[in-house]
Amino acid sequence: MLQHAALLLLISSGLSVSFGLMGFVNLAHGALYMLGAYIGIAVAAKAGFWAALLIAPLVVGALGAALYLGLLCRLRGPMPQVLASFGLVFITVELVRILWGDVALTLERPAILAGSRHVLGVDYPAYRLFIILLGLAVAVGLWRTVHRSSLGAMLRAAVENPAMARAIGIRTGSLFLATFALGAALAGLGGVVAAPILSANTGMAISALIPALIVTVIGGMGSVSGTILGALIVAAIEVFGAALWPDASAVLIYAALAAALIWRPQGLLAVKGHG
Amino acid sequence: MFRLTTIRAATAALVLIALAAWSVHGDYLAREITAEIAILAILVLALDLVAGFGGMVSLAHGAIMGVGAYGYALANLAGLPPWPAALVGIVASTATGGVIGAISARLTGVFFLMVTLAFGQMIWALTFRADALGGDNGLGGIARPALPFVDSNDPLVFALYALLMLLACLLLCVAVLRSPFGHRFQAVHDNPARAAALGFAPERIRAQGFAISSMLAGVAGVLAAQHMQFVSPELMVWTASGEVLVVLILGGIGSVTGAMVGAAGYLLLKHWAAGWTDHWHLAVGLLLIAVVLAGGRGLSGLLERRRDA
Repeated sequence: MLQHAALLLLISSGLSVSFGLMGFVNLAHGALYMLGAYIGIAVAAKAGFWAALLIAPLVVGALGAALYLGLLCRLRGPMPQVLASFGLVFITVELVRILWGDVALTLERPAILAGSRHVLGVDYPAYRLFIILLGLAVAVGLWRTVHRSSLGAMLRAAVENPAMARAIGIRTGSLFLATFALGAALAGLGGVVAAPILSANTGMAISALIPALIVTVIGGMGSVSGTILGALIVAAIEVFGAALWPDASAVLIYAALAAALIWRPQGLLAVKGHG
Repeated sequence: MFRLTTIRAATAALVLIALAAWSVHGDYLAREITAEIAILAILVLALDLVAGFGGMVSLAHGAIMGVGAYGYALANLAGLPPWPAALVGIVASTATGGVIGAISARLTGVFFLMVTLAFGQMIWALTFRADALGGDNGLGGIARPALPFVDSNDPLVFALYALLMLLACLLLCVAVLRSPFGHRFQAVHDNPARAAALGFAPERIRAQGFAISSMLAGVAGVLAAQHMQFVSPELMVWTASGEVLVVLILGGIGSVTGAMVGAAGYLLLKHWAAGWTDHWHLAVGLLLIAVVLAGGRGLSGLLERRRDA
């Protein structure tokens, strides 16, 4: 379950940056995650897993920055963002099908993470351990950046009141660009890390989007610790629900989303003001 | 505020007449596509009513339509004749939409979008897992309606019957928007504070509008079940609702006629492109982004603007 939560966290952290922090409703998040997986596999074939882990997020982050500069920063209001990013999903999925075909691709986990490790008295697959550690590292890094650095303070100010932030000398344009690129890079990272477990296919663009949205919304937007909590809750519902009450587990997760939206709208206030 | 301008009435009439003429003179495929266009147009119309005039952009409309389709299928398979079964389907959709609307009406914008996504996916997941509903396999062997003098199993008859239903839904939609309720519904969207100051109950009005829209979606669902004579959870998954939203945006949101233009354009593009490429969604994505960048008024908006100029 921890492994599942960590993977969800990795997939969702990018969305919690672009959607949660910036208030940008990015339905193309799953598509960026898918690109991360495919690019990761392509790089790994030439230069190995560790190069892919570094290069794929950079490429996806650069793509995200280009998309933001070329298209997305011109959109005002959530509905144009929803629609344009949905259009990007269509385009990305078709481009991936053209470039890589319809067959699901797999990525070999690196040799050092192939076996299992003895942790706290149990044997645990090394790759899953790696995912948990990476998830923790991303969560801590993100939390420090958003809540404990001047960069995070500037970002929160720019989201809260863009005009005032500009007046005191914050370059909101480049700050949003950097934030969106970071969200995209995190999506790409999630894609590479998930590829050895889930294998890359074009369904990822859609199938990863909904859990990421749920994690971001349940946890409360704009809050890194909320995203961690959200990932744990969603993973618990999925893992225990599937074991205890399989017929209802798929329903439960959506019921949790609806309940979070209806009963805890205060968690959503962060973006309501400029939505 | 909705106005049935001459150009809108003319566009609607033109699309209906062109489709009728195409199915009369065309082959089997033309008739099947016409029926498909009419059914999609009704569903898009239902979405336009809430999204275009009430600001309630729903990702549950595929699921609500599916409830209508399953309601008809189950009632019909249980032995009910088609017309009463159709009533069962439409009532089921209306009730489902009424409940979703009542619970979600206080949310707006993208939060409304996400809560409808959640409800739609709940309905999909329930249907997908329910053995009594055929699960993943769906239900087959559904009857078409008995019509006087003609046989609805004839593709031409069914195409014209579907077009008639589209016309009825179109008139109903216009009547609703022009009614005192329709004015309140649009007022609540245009200026919630002022509407509330006038004594309207915004949440109740929004929920009622959502129920009316769901009724139209139910009509589309019943027609879809009659057309395919088969229902499956595919109808209900959220990407189906997303596709309906895309068609509405391409056709032109908030214009009523945009639903028909969008449905006809989308399905004709799909069937034409499917003949030579597997990647026609690429064009849909590019078109969608182009429409959003152009101001989001869609194909019918383009027509109207040209006339204004």
